[in-house]
Amino acid sequence: MNAIKSVLFGLLLVANLCAYSQEKEVKPRTFKYGKVDLNEFDTKVNGADSAASAVALFDVGRGWFEFSAKTGNFIYVFERHTRYKIINKTGYDYANLEIQLYKQNGSEQNLEYTDGATYNLEAGKIVTSKLSKESKFSEKQDKNYTLKKFALPNVKEGSIVEFKYKIKSDFIFTLRSWRFQKEIPMLYSAYEIKIPEYFKYKITAGGFLFINPKEERVNESFISASGTLNTTSLKLHYQVENVPGLKTENFITTMEDYVSKVGFELSSVTVPGEVYRDVTSTWPKIVKGLKEDENFGLFINKRSYSKTLLKDIIKINTNQDTIVQLVFNYVKNNIKFNHDDDFSTSETNPKTVFEKKSGNSADVNLCLLTLLSEAKVNAFPILLSTRSNGAHPGFPMITKFNNVIVGVQIGEKTILLDATDKNHMPDMIAFDNLSHEGLKVNLADETAEWISLEDPTISRKNINYLLTLDGENKISGKMYLSTTNYEAFSRRNSYQSASNEDDFLKSYKNGKPGLGIKNYKIENLTNLNESLIESMDVNIEDNVEEAGNLIYFTPLLYERTKENPFKLEERNFPVDFGHPTEEVVRITIDYPKEYQVDKTPKNEKIILPEESASFTFLFAGEPGKMVISSKIVLKKSLYTPEEYHYIKELFKNIVRKQSEQIVLKKS
Amino acid sequence: MRIVILFVIGLFLIKETKSQGIYDVNKIPPDLLKDASLVIRYENQTYDIKNPGNAVYDYKIAVTLLNKSAEGASNMYEFYDKFSNVYNLKATLYDSKGSKVKEYKSSDFKDRSAVSSGSLYEDSRVKFLDFLYNNYPYTIEYSYSTEYSGIRFYPSWKPVSSWGAAVEKSEYTFRIPETMTFKYLKSTGLKTDSLKVKDKIQYKWSCENVKALEYEPMSAGIADVSPWVTLAPNQFEYDNSKANIENWDNLGAWLSGLNNGAQALPESVKLKVQNLIKGAATPKDKIKLLYNYLQSNTRYVGVQLGIGGYKPIAAEKVAAVNYGDCKALSNYMKALLQEAGIKSNLVVIGNDMPSLNKKFASLSQANHMILCVPLEKDTTWLECTSQFVPMGYIGNDNSDRTVLLVTEAGGKLAQTPYYSPANNYQKRITKVNFDEEGSANISLETQYGFAQYEENLRMTLIEPTEQRKSLMNSLSIPNMQISSFSFNQPNKEAAVLNEKVDLKASQILTKGGDKLFLTLNMTNRQESAVTPIENRKTYFNVKYGYSDEDEIIYNIPKGYKVEFMPKDVVIESEFGKYTAKVVQKDNSLIYSRTKTINNKKYPPEKYNDYVAFSKKIYQADKQKGILAKIE
Repeated sequence: MNAIKSVLFGLLLVANLCAYSQEKEVKPRTFKYGKVDLNEFDTKVNGADSAASAVALFDVGRGWFEFSAKTGNFIYVFERHTRYKIINKTGYDYANLEIQLYKQNGSEQNLEYTDGATYNLEAGKIVTSKLSKESKFSEKQDKNYTLKKFALPNVKEGSIVEFKYKIKSDFIFTLRSWRFQKEIPMLYSAYEIKIPEYFKYKITAGGFLFINPKEERVNESFISASGTLNTTSLKLHYQVENVPGLKTENFITTMEDYVSKVGFELSSVTVPGEVYRDVTSTWPKIVKGLKEDENFGLFINKRSYSKTLLKDIIKINTNQDTIVQLVFNYVKNNIKFNHDDDFSTSETNPKTVFEKKSGNSADVNLCLLTLLSEAKVNAFPILLSTRSNGAHPGFPMITKFNNVIVGVQIGEKTILLDATDKNHMPDMIAFDNLSHEGLKVNLADETAEWISLEDPTISRKNINYLLTLDGENKISGKMYLSTTNYEAFSRRNSYQSASNEDDFLKSYKNGKPGLGIKNYKIENLTNLNESLIESMDVNIEDNVEEAGNLIYFTPLLYERTKENPFKLEERNFPVDFGHPTEEVVRITIDYPKEYQVDKTPKNEKIILPEESASFTFLFAGEPGKMVISSKIVLKKSLYTPEEYHYIKELFKNIVRKQSEQIVLKKS
Repeated sequence: MRIVILFVIGLFLIKETKSQGIYDVNKIPPDLLKDASLVIRYENQTYDIKNPGNAVYDYKIAVTLLNKSAEGASNMYEFYDKFSNVYNLKATLYDSKGSKVKEYKSSDFKDRSAVSSGSLYEDSRVKFLDFLYNNYPYTIEYSYSTEYSGIRFYPSWKPVSSWGAAVEKSEYTFRIPETMTFKYLKSTGLKTDSLKVKDKIQYKWSCENVKALEYEPMSAGIADVSPWVTLAPNQFEYDNSKANIENWDNLGAWLSGLNNGAQALPESVKLKVQNLIKGAATPKDKIKLLYNYLQSNTRYVGVQLGIGGYKPIAAEKVAAVNYGDCKALSNYMKALLQEAGIKSNLVVIGNDMPSLNKKFASLSQANHMILCVPLEKDTTWLECTSQFVPMGYIGNDNSDRTVLLVTEAGGKLAQTPYYSPANNYQKRITKVNFDEEGSANISLETQYGFAQYEENLRMTLIEPTEQRKSLMNSLSIPNMQISSFSFNQPNKEAAVLNEKVDLKASQILTKGGDKLFLTLNMTNRQESAVTPIENRKTYFNVKYGYSDEDEIIYNIPKGYKVEFMPKDVVIESEFGKYTAKVVQKDNSLIYSRTKTINNKKYPPEKYNDYVAFSKKIYQADKQKGILAKIE
């Protein structure tokens, strides 16, 4: 729960920093297609956006429902009208439009019309060039998706371009979402949507902008097969003006978490003459829906194949921990993840997945769940939205999830399982799944609750050098590298992805000039519960330098942090590492007796407020021997924009201290 | 009766054991496993030509993927378009023992559009299948046929597809009616079998037990040391066009024919051209004006359909929309020049590809089109898809290669301009001013030419926040704060860019005891050296030739004196030249460095000399000076 709070806290603070996020009355504006004003050509942008390649003069969307005689159902109609001024050649992309349309099982989205035009100012007059038929293309991407593409004619620097189009969609579970921000500045963006009272939608809003929500009730009538339906509709309206361009930063989850937008997901339907259908209005309703879904609950409950399979896997074992481990190992070793994240299976029966030996993340993890349940282990699905998919808004909304993992309750402890990678172990899920929180689903009770997905274990990297410096400025000795959790995961992965050990060592030596390796050994490569231990004999040239009677080198050798990863002076978004980490480097060097340390480096320790991160550098010496150790601890997975300054300073000091030279004097 | 039953069972058993075992990993000859991440168990491709416009391609392969490093090869894909059709798709997966794990259904194969990035529309599509299995090693086997109703290329044969690929057996059978001719190139030593089969000539190439090659950096390609065949048609038919491309001359004539009359311009554009060139004195001035007009009025939009892959969209159509691909824009420029009374030729070129092979005419050696304007003493080359580069600068990837000029009299081979290392320069003067705490105010003034201009051109097209980020990442000065920066191209007609950056940095000097260490080359270090390889097999390519000149002027911080400065360095070899020296002048240190790298292809035995050259530069670049407190 703490984690969730800290995420939200971070976002709120950022919101306050943005001047344009304050509530401000925006006057609604209307625009006519083809009616371009002369002064629109004079549009200028300033401030951080003064070099923007284009500016969105407006972007206006409208959505409403119609009754379709063809399908006998309500359909959703979406109309969009947008106009840009192109400032320089980099902005030419805004003269191209792509619209993706979807169809499945006879339901489809249709592009009703697309109008487009380019306006150029020639000798004080506006010259219009219309989008021609030859500039419209349709690309059938696969059996479900078609991409419509449009390229406007006569585009140059200073052109104004305009598009207007309408899409009719049979899919009404989610309605087209609306983004109020782009990479380029936006002068005005508005979205209006009219929803008949038969339908109730959950609305999500994200980002830092105040989007001026307004709602009113209006009367509408629809002509259906059974006559005219008169009803009241909810009219929602959102608008913003003068929005700066959105700029991306490093160490974030996804920009989707920071862009201002609204989205809609159906929660209930009460069409006259039909039974009231509550679709997703509460978590229990959502869970009930999942329970009856052939790609979720019903999938988990198809056990006949698992029954026989389970006997082969667990044999005579009865210990719960052992059973969990055996089943987990079986699934991750036998079903190959196809790199599609989904919380919904692609097959309707675990048997098919076991036979196919591959599947999406739900296929893999719900197969795991069905086996565990069959083995009478208290296991449950956990829905989540991956880091790259963006944070879940928190309230009952199914479509914002895109993945599922498995939780197991044994006594007091909850263990997280994600079988999509052979190198995963209990409580270590895919990095992209480290989105701080997940929804624990109890299918039997039809309840759900948010739980933390924070990895409480620090991912450690321990490097230990035992070295001797000889009279020829060469260093040789032993090196031990021990890693755990995500650190070990990435090393295991690169070892296994190399075509052989030589290849792996080659890439390890890459960027470490002067390093020679012999007698490389790796332990616990497949024994995931233990630290991964690597050891080698090392020979280091080119790292010790001589100047007169002085000999000097940077003691951390290849392990020093050379550059501060945080370069920008300011930051608007949290720094999200995903999990806590610790790096310890300890170097012992024996050196010739006739050398003396010129001046011993100072010990230093830097601790961030609340001990959320620290850096320690220690030096100890006696004649002919020195020991240097450096320790970096990042205890949290996420630091707020306010903490950014501290993190930046911490790394600044790490870079400074680790670059200090050790100077030896020949006597 | 009993005998019969026994016989049937016996046969069944034999068949069963046989089918279980053929892909057993243990059956791979041990020397093929060395350095291999995959082994092609067998590969069989057949191309059967019916007539110049029709052919059938049959392909079958079995590959054992030995470990995770081969994961990227665990798939099949075949491209097709309006003039081809893929059918008879079959695929099977076997485990390490060679037992069948899974047979794929036709619905398992996916069909997707294959529009290349940067293109708006093409009719290219792909059939593909990902083989997903979690236990290495395993074997994938697949086969398909493709029927062509339009031909431009003949499939080549390259059994060693990548580093780490071993081949047990691979063969290519090629059949062509005896009334037709074709041409081919092959690897040295490869045997060609040909015989007459009915009314066709059948050619066969094959290889057996080819060992895997270990990855070699900077390689000029594995073609020098592995078997291959490249084929090309002489006569073909494609999308209602008949061609004879026996040599470059008639390949050029064919393209010229496709392009015939495509230069007609609407009256309005003709008028514009005449108005534009009214005051121009020389043809060169006219080209300049018209190229400028092209750059500010058109943009790149790629659309390729059928013969449209070779035939430019007519100038009239480009005039209506002001966009097009490389062919359409080059042809449009040609039309503009023609209106101004200047002759020019379309140029078929391999952008970032090797030169055209002078003795082997084929379409697959090129991927781009530019324009050549031959003037009496001074030929101008124009890259018509860039809205930014100065007239005559065609970019490093188009430079110094053999290309084909499309002329009315047929194709003519020519050579594009060479940009020498001296042309591709970076000249930088850095001033470092230390204060008493050792923090420094630093100003950098840099000039980039030609290829280095091209590399940094991007900086002028992005927004200030992005420029700042980019500078932060490219200048590896520890703990710096940029105070101001600017980019400008002083002369729109020269490929030269000026950059000016002012910054503050607090960690230029590192401490060591009571001394200060100064890495003299603060701004342009070679941070690593290439690693040596024993018994390198392939040629290596230094693709990019350039020259850098740096001068850094430091003031010596107050209270300090020079205790040690490194000696002058001169490193010279056929790979290039490097010099570095530092002199003390009054209270300042002047460090100067020059580095010239020659672009060339070198034989494998020279690689370790190159490594030594690179290592010396690496060592020289990290040399430090030592300053000591004045007591």
